[in-house]
Amino acid sequence: MIELVGIKVLRKGKLILGLDKLRFEDGQSYALIGENGSGKTTLLRLLAGIIQPSEGQIKGVEGLKLAYLPQKPYIFRMSVRENVALAAKDSFDGAKSVQEAINLVGMQGFEKQEAEKLSGGEAQRVAIARLLLVKANLVLLDEPTAPIDVRGREQIDVVINEYVRNNEATLIFATHSLEQALKLADRVIKLEDGIQQAI
Amino acid sequence: MQEVLYQLFGPNPELREIIVLTLIMSFFSTVISAAIGIPLGTWLGLTDFKGKKTWLKINSTLMGLPPVLVGLLVFLLLSHSGPLGKFNLLFSLPAMVIAQVILISPIMTGMTANLIALNANTINETCLGLGISSKKMLGLVLKDYRRDYLLNVLAGFGRSIAEVGAVQMVGGNIQYKTRVMTTAIMMQTNMGQFEQALALGLVLLVIAFVVNFAVQSLRPRISDD
Repeated sequence: MIELVGIKVLRKGKLILGLDKLRFEDGQSYALIGENGSGKTTLLRLLAGIIQPSEGQIKGVEGLKLAYLPQKPYIFRMSVRENVALAAKDSFDGAKSVQEAINLVGMQGFEKQEAEKLSGGEAQRVAIARLLLVKANLVLLDEPTAPIDVRGREQIDVVINEYVRNNEATLIFATHSLEQALKLADRVIKLEDGIQQAI
Repeated sequence: MQEVLYQLFGPNPELREIIVLTLIMSFFSTVISAAIGIPLGTWLGLTDFKGKKTWLKINSTLMGLPPVLVGLLVFLLLSHSGPLGKFNLLFSLPAMVIAQVILISPIMTGMTANLIALNANTINETCLGLGISSKKMLGLVLKDYRRDYLLNVLAGFGRSIAEVGAVQMVGGNIQYKTRVMTTAIMMQTNMGQFEQALALGLVLLVIAFVVNFAVQSLRPRISDD
């Protein structure tokens, strides 16, 4: 279980995230919803260890294997297959998983395509395929399907759901889609100006 | 101009030797500076650590080092009474390369660090999320930015081929040994032979253009890898 106690994140003296107490149970899925600037990304970055709180404690993240998809993941200027293979083990099974991951996100046929020539939605699919090869028990996704078209989102939602279940991982993701939140999450957490709101 | 063409293609090899020596010096200065500056700049651009700002400020200062000062320091270092005097390098090509590397490496480091810093957060966060180690990330970024580095290398080469103060001091402009295009131009100017100095300048400009053109034409080939 991950527990955040008395968390305050300040930027230039301004509170951007303030959480008295927040718990994430193992193996559960949590959706973070809220407007732009509400603190969703800050919370994910805090859990990923990218930023440190100005005050408070985060318990239970030590030793967890992390998979994190930032809001704008970096796609290396190499082929789709090479990009996805970055997180794979260098073995026959690894190569097989790379192809499986590419197929799962609907990018079969694009394996040799230079990633820099992909559209925003295609690049995001590659980033998700890459993440599927990380064996993690804490999965943090920052608006994972935002650049993907509506039909593609449904496919990716299924893929994410299966990935999290197979790994028995805790999933925490930010989204602007209440529909996606309700579909993927066991619990929805609403943030407003960095403060958790009752739903 | 006719005189320069005669010198270039005529029986006297001096001008050809000057050109060859200039290219050898610039090649080694640029390659060594790139080997130092590009990995260091990439690491600096990617990594956040205590004292980074100070390090970058020092590097920015070094980017504007006066060539004559570098020439003087290398001269003192390599002179017979200096700490590296026993190697007998003063007034030689290696001495000129050493001075130029001191001048060019900070430029390559600074330009590379600024370039990488633009995407550093995204790259760091992506690699963290995929469990990619810092060492592997550095290798990936070095490969990923190879096309962009080429422009930094060209900037370094430009600085090297046009530099005069440091190479004059540590090279000594010795005929058939350390005379390069810039020191030859300076010598001709001092002798009042302005036409020859201008013509040599033109040759220098053509060399710089040809090298730039050749390197730039490599870029699409690199992207096809």
